[in-house]
Amino acid sequence: MVDVNMTLEMVQASQVGMKAIGAGIAVGLTGIGAGVAEMAIGSAAVGATAENKDVFGLVLLLTVIPETIVIFGLVVGLLLLF
Amino acid sequence: MLKPEQMSRLLIVASKDQMAPVVTELYRHNLFHIEDYVEAGAEGYEGFKIGSPLPGATEASGDLVKIRAIENAFSIRSEDFEVKQRRKQSGLQVLIEHELPAIEQEVEGLTVNRSKLETKLKEYEQKIAELTPFTGIPGDLDLYRGYSRLVVFAGYVEKEVSLSVPHEMFFSKGKGRHFTVVIAAVEQRSVVEGALQEAGYQAVPIPDESGVPQERISFYSSQITLIKKEIEDINQKLDAIKEKHADFLVACEEILKVQVDQTEAPLRFATTNETFVAEGWVPTNRVDAVSDSLTNVTGGKIFITVLPIDLEHDVVPVEYDNPSFAKPTQMLMDVYSRPKYAELDPTLILSIMFPLFFGLILGDVGYGLLLLGMCLVLRKYLKVDDGAQLLTVLRNASFSSILFGLLYSEFLGFELPWKPIMFSRHLKIGGGEAGGQGPAIPELMMLAIWIGILHITLGRILGMINHARQDHGDHRIKAVMANFGWLAVMWGLLIVIWTIAALPLMPDLTSLPKIFINLNAAAIVGAVLLVTGVILIARDSALEIVELPTIISHVLSYARIVAVGLSSVAIAMVVNFIAIGMLISPQLEHITVVGVLFIIMGVVVFLIGHALNMALGILGGGLHSIRLHYVEFFTKFYKGGGKKYSPFGYKRRFTED
Repeated sequence: MVDVNMTLEMVQASQVGMKAIGAGIAVGLTGIGAGVAEMAIGSAAVGATAENKDVFGLVLLLTVIPETIVIFGLVVGLLLLF
Repeated sequence: MLKPEQMSRLLIVASKDQMAPVVTELYRHNLFHIEDYVEAGAEGYEGFKIGSPLPGATEASGDLVKIRAIENAFSIRSEDFEVKQRRKQSGLQVLIEHELPAIEQEVEGLTVNRSKLETKLKEYEQKIAELTPFTGIPGDLDLYRGYSRLVVFAGYVEKEVSLSVPHEMFFSKGKGRHFTVVIAAVEQRSVVEGALQEAGYQAVPIPDESGVPQERISFYSSQITLIKKEIEDINQKLDAIKEKHADFLVACEEILKVQVDQTEAPLRFATTNETFVAEGWVPTNRVDAVSDSLTNVTGGKIFITVLPIDLEHDVVPVEYDNPSFAKPTQMLMDVYSRPKYAELDPTLILSIMFPLFFGLILGDVGYGLLLLGMCLVLRKYLKVDDGAQLLTVLRNASFSSILFGLLYSEFLGFELPWKPIMFSRHLKIGGGEAGGQGPAIPELMMLAIWIGILHITLGRILGMINHARQDHGDHRIKAVMANFGWLAVMWGLLIVIWTIAALPLMPDLTSLPKIFINLNAAAIVGAVLLVTGVILIARDSALEIVELPTIISHVLSYARIVAVGLSSVAIAMVVNFIAIGMLISPQLEHITVVGVLFIIMGVVVFLIGHALNMALGILGGGLHSIRLHYVEFFTKFYKGGGKKYSPFGYKRRFTED
């Protein structure tokens, strides 16, 4: 990766770019992960709510549990950028 | 405050001849939540039977069914009916007896007629469909039948058929399949059938008609037009009846509903041969009013007493008791779960915190004003109770949105003429022309984390109160201490983090003198807190230890306040940059015809972009704020599952005594 002809500015610029890419990957992949996890829970939750409206609060809780993953990704992304 | 309405358990005993006045009086008060009597040998109720309806129940419910049937035919719904003028009950009672049968007969006659006509319409349409293939073949329909020596085939084939036997064939080409009629001698039936099968023959029934097909079709078409007109006439008549009688019908429905409710109430009471017993719940501050008026109407021939409440076994119905500004938020509580009677009712906290979170997320004067306007306009048209409450909640949220917009200095993504009073959320989009100093991300993040810490601490404190109130014996202390343990772990961890790193907006404890292997005093305090907390949690339930990481994840979850807010700011700024920076302002320097088109495009982008962003912002701001309450806050102390207080009675809208 490191080219001897690179100037200090170029190295710094590419570091910034790498950070941005890293942050993007952190948020993007965790977003996909949370989405995949919530997919099954969400459909089951809708089914359960259709059967019995009272469980809405509970199933909402269960549905949003995987959201933590993307929040972690977001925090990592923000830490990388700032 | 923070407590549901106080309830008293009322026992009413009287002789059966007082039943009707008692029921009417209870119904009028609309306060008595009847505890249904079930014949299961409840303690103290041996030998009691479920009561039988008061006289008139059958007639009233019969009439109610009729009225509802008519209303169905007209698709009238009393909920979306404007109250013009309240009618007198006594007058209506007479009208129900005299006019209702006539109206019913008229409506029934018309609807029966209509459905007959509709059947006929279908029949004729079917006939036209049957006749259509034969229009391509010359000749009268009579010619297709009545032969003893000849056999007639009519149907679709996929390709042309050639027959070796004597026959007559008519052919009309179509798309993909062709209609054909073959007439041959009876003896040749099998040969013809074989040849037709090869061509993919599908038989079509020959219509039972006489005359030229085309003429028959036009005859039926004209019939259909006539029938449609008749149906239209009937619909108009029905509309006229609806127009004339709609308010009479909803008023009747109301009266009959009231009658049915009242006459069937004894089905929920316990009775003996001569007496009846009704048990139920009344808000404590209304007990006197209810018992006084019951004593009045029965002339004192009634026994009323307040029973003691056993919180462990009695399921007390729950009615909210909140200041009026917090009332709409009860809807959000009901979505999650109504509080139990002995539980803290967090509606008030929710009604304050929800708008705050919403404003922190969607802090923009422009969007706030738009949302406010939208709520005020929609509020006029929306009659459904839940929807109206939600709009009121959103209206309150929009005030907070405007307030935070002033603090953030944001108007549709533009900067207001002052610097942000709170931390800036202005991103550097569009080469700096859209905003000043760039966002203060670390500070905003820490602010969100602080909100999370305080919110969760409040939740845990409420949890301690709830456990202290609801639990008993050994478990009570353990549960309270476990909640304290969770707090200790969280704050211990925080203190340790403060001694390790200096963070913005947080106390910096890194420079305290070290006492013990590289640890300073604060770190030791933090560590002790942490360990004590874990022990306290484990004492209540060892399994809870696996939940420890949620301390971090729940606090970090509040970062969404910043994240969701920033994303909506970013979208607003991008929309502004595309619409104004890229499309409109370059064209304004020297206006050309193409330039005008660009400007129009820019305006369209601006409008659509901000409309979408506002929709996203309301959705994001609303859902994430409520989610932070449901998931992060309520899980610390709130269980819910209370029974709704639904008093025996009805608030009349169309009628009066």
